[in-house]
Amino acid sequence: MSDDGLARLTRACATVSAPGTDPELVAVVIGWAVRPRRSLDALRRHLAATPADQEPGVRLRRAVGAQLDQDDLRHARAPVASWAQRGCVLSVVGDPGYPRRLAEGWPDTDGPVLLATAGAPPADRPTVAVVGSRRASSYGRGVTSWLAEAAGHAGAHVVSGGAIGIDAAAHRAALATVGGTSVVLGCGHNVDYPRGHARAGGLFEDIRAQGGGVLSEQFPDVAPRAGVVRARNRIVAGLADVVVVVEGGDRSGALLTATAALERGRTVLAVPGDVRASGSVAPNRLLGEGAHPCTGPEDLLDAMASASPSPPSIPATTARLDARASSQQLDAGDAAAIVTVLPRAVHAVLAAAWPRAVPVDVLLERAGVGAGAVLAALTRAQIAGEISEGPEGVVLQRRPARAGGPPP
Amino acid sequence: MVRELAIVRGVALLGLRAMEVRVEATSSPGLPMLRLVGLPDAAVREAGDRVRTAITRRGLRWPGERIVVNLAPAELPKVGSAFDLPLAVAILAASGQVPLAAAAACWACGELGLDGSVRPVAGQLPLVAGARRLGAERLLLPAGAASEAALVDGLELLPVADLGEVVDLLTARNSPREIVPLARRRAAPAPDLAEVRGQPLARRAVELAAAGGHHLLLSGPPGCGKSMLAERLVGLLPDLDTTQALEVAALHSLAGLRSPDQPLELRPPRRAPHQIVSAAALIGGGSGVPRPGEVSLAHHGVLTLDELLEVPRVVLDALRQPLEQGEVVLTRSRARVTYPARVLLVAATNPCPCGHLGDPRRACRCRPDQVARYRARLSGPLLDRLDLQVALRPLDHDALVDAAPGESSAVVAARVAAARRRAAARWGSGALNRDARAQQLRESTEGAALARLAGAVHGTGGSARAFDRTLRVARTIADLADSEVVGTSHVEEAVAYRLPAARGAA
Repeated sequence: MSDDGLARLTRACATVSAPGTDPELVAVVIGWAVRPRRSLDALRRHLAATPADQEPGVRLRRAVGAQLDQDDLRHARAPVASWAQRGCVLSVVGDPGYPRRLAEGWPDTDGPVLLATAGAPPADRPTVAVVGSRRASSYGRGVTSWLAEAAGHAGAHVVSGGAIGIDAAAHRAALATVGGTSVVLGCGHNVDYPRGHARAGGLFEDIRAQGGGVLSEQFPDVAPRAGVVRARNRIVAGLADVVVVVEGGDRSGALLTATAALERGRTVLAVPGDVRASGSVAPNRLLGEGAHPCTGPEDLLDAMASASPSPPSIPATTARLDARASSQQLDAGDAAAIVTVLPRAVHAVLAAAWPRAVPVDVLLERAGVGAGAVLAALTRAQIAGEISEGPEGVVLQRRPARAGGPPP
Repeated sequence: MVRELAIVRGVALLGLRAMEVRVEATSSPGLPMLRLVGLPDAAVREAGDRVRTAITRRGLRWPGERIVVNLAPAELPKVGSAFDLPLAVAILAASGQVPLAAAAACWACGELGLDGSVRPVAGQLPLVAGARRLGAERLLLPAGAASEAALVDGLELLPVADLGEVVDLLTARNSPREIVPLARRRAAPAPDLAEVRGQPLARRAVELAAAGGHHLLLSGPPGCGKSMLAERLVGLLPDLDTTQALEVAALHSLAGLRSPDQPLELRPPRRAPHQIVSAAALIGGGSGVPRPGEVSLAHHGVLTLDELLEVPRVVLDALRQPLEQGEVVLTRSRARVTYPARVLLVAATNPCPCGHLGDPRRACRCRPDQVARYRARLSGPLLDRLDLQVALRPLDHDALVDAAPGESSAVVAARVAAARRRAAARWGSGALNRDARAQQLRESTEGAALARLAGAVHGTGGSARAFDRTLRVARTIADLADSEVVGTSHVEEAVAYRLPAARGAA
């Protein structure tokens, strides 16, 4: 190995390394893994088999450094340039820039060796993963928004996989909250997947704009193959204190996330679902196997309080109290002055059904006023962000006040 | 001695556009033969044999001389068998069997049988109407087409059943036969809207479509009533006036779908081609002079396309121009033809490949990316032109059994007619809100409503075209509500038929 090549790659890596990360270590790791048959995951497994006498950085260098040649180092510059272009920073396991919870127990746990992060996810917030299938019902999306928004308001960071369906509902609900949200990609940073979220002006851009992170363990051009996407789920689990599974089929990736979380000893919650809906198979099975039922934000916040007894910046008890307070405030606010642009009868039908969707036809029939007036009101409400419309019909974006309908 | 030229005039059709064709014949000493010049197609060239046989079988004389017939102007393509009759008359005049002057004062169109009988051809009605437009005063035409031709005003008709009658008429031995005017009729009424149970959203959309001529997209699982609604939409449209009915009849005549003795249909046509229709069949086409397609056959009526997403992409793209401009322009090597195509398009589609997305009774088996890809086929310019996009839901059992019958077609049609009258008073007779000019529309819209629409269209990533088309729907909503001004609530309702979320954005 030539020192000259390593020095040049190290200088390139210095531009993309997270604060506190040793650029030379980053260079060594990338240089090793950039060649075929030497994946980062193989490196982790290799290290797991070596004696655990020193800290990860030293062990990585010892395991890899001697094997690098000039070709490796030359090949390694392309991904580094891509990451730099995408505004990513790289961190190696064990470094200060690398998520603390993900590094716990490494290399016996399965955190990735290298993590490329775009944006700036908060370092030490209590974190909750809200996960579920892409094929989500309006019920699943509604519950997800409810949980993620409450968790975000209570100061928890919400992570998920960035997919359409449940993941997207979780990210969107937590986007504007104190806690914020981060996404773990199932592909490299250069691959636009899912396209609707990754394109300009899409969800991922919003997440970065709101101070969240977009994370990937993969080289920039890795496509979202099934294996890569599944491997992503263990990172979602590794980042979180508590994992909530909202909806998923019998072979859903959400089950992998739950399994990975249990292997790390994290708390897993599941949202009870309709016993006949195919999307309820995963959470209901988890409940049968001993997961905690999650019937609302209270359950989630309780679980967080006991899961992370002393999170560094926000003590769990405070988070819990925050949550209680803010959820009480929300209720009080709801009852006092609910703002709706919908006719009363329409709002009442939607409130009673929430978080399930109501077909537009049903609303038109129950409204008691002309079809045209109801449709106009639905447009108004949709522009105001009060409702959203999907294949199953119209659903309220937010949980309605317990009292039921709006004031006269 | 130079004998005089015999001249009879015929009509060539380029689409619906009629062109005068002078059929000139001379008979001069020489070996007996017939030469046809002037770009005749195969059917016209065969006319020589037909005419010769017909003349001799009728007991008339075929001149034993050299006959040259010229079809002028030579550059105009002449297609079909409608030149048989003028050809025969010209030869009879050239051989002195009918007076040259009588022949020269006549126009003629019709096909000959070998026995000398005169028969109607496809496109007989546009031929007659075209001759009138070109200034014809007397027209020799097949007796079988006389009643239909009588619908065209200002023309002296000389109906003939065979060549013997032609000679009798032109030598003034006989007077023209009586013509029984063609009846007008209304086709059996379309099924009644009252039979549609529930579905208030779709009923409203169908009413708006009928009132403003806006194109409609019905999306829903199989069996939810998409075809049922499409069928009933025709019943909400008002009767055609005589001009419109004649336009429709002319197009159907050209396509060979109408025989001349059929009564004139006053109900708007409804065409429902199968989803594997070719572009040529839908838009019009064929070799030589293109024939009208389904979109023109549905002129002034309703064109239904079921399973829109199963229709090939090229065919869908070909639909854009007629939907926007109300006519089809077909350019071929030999001719450029324009057919009118003012249709109301009613398209139906499943919401996803398996058809059950959003169906509470049957789970959808499609993966989300499959659904996205399925819908992407519909995206873009064509979707922009479908102003009313409605998701239908399957009726549950209770609604099928218990729901009271909805309003009947007659009640809704009365509202539709009133709204159409308001639109016609504003834009001019026969004009629909669909065709309204954007600038005029904006003048009758409240400022606040325009601002709301601009916000909504921008928020949903809509185009400027979407803006104007939505405003046209809002105009129709206002007309149905008997409001002179388009207000915010009218615009909001119009936007509700276009929201991308209604198309199931994830």
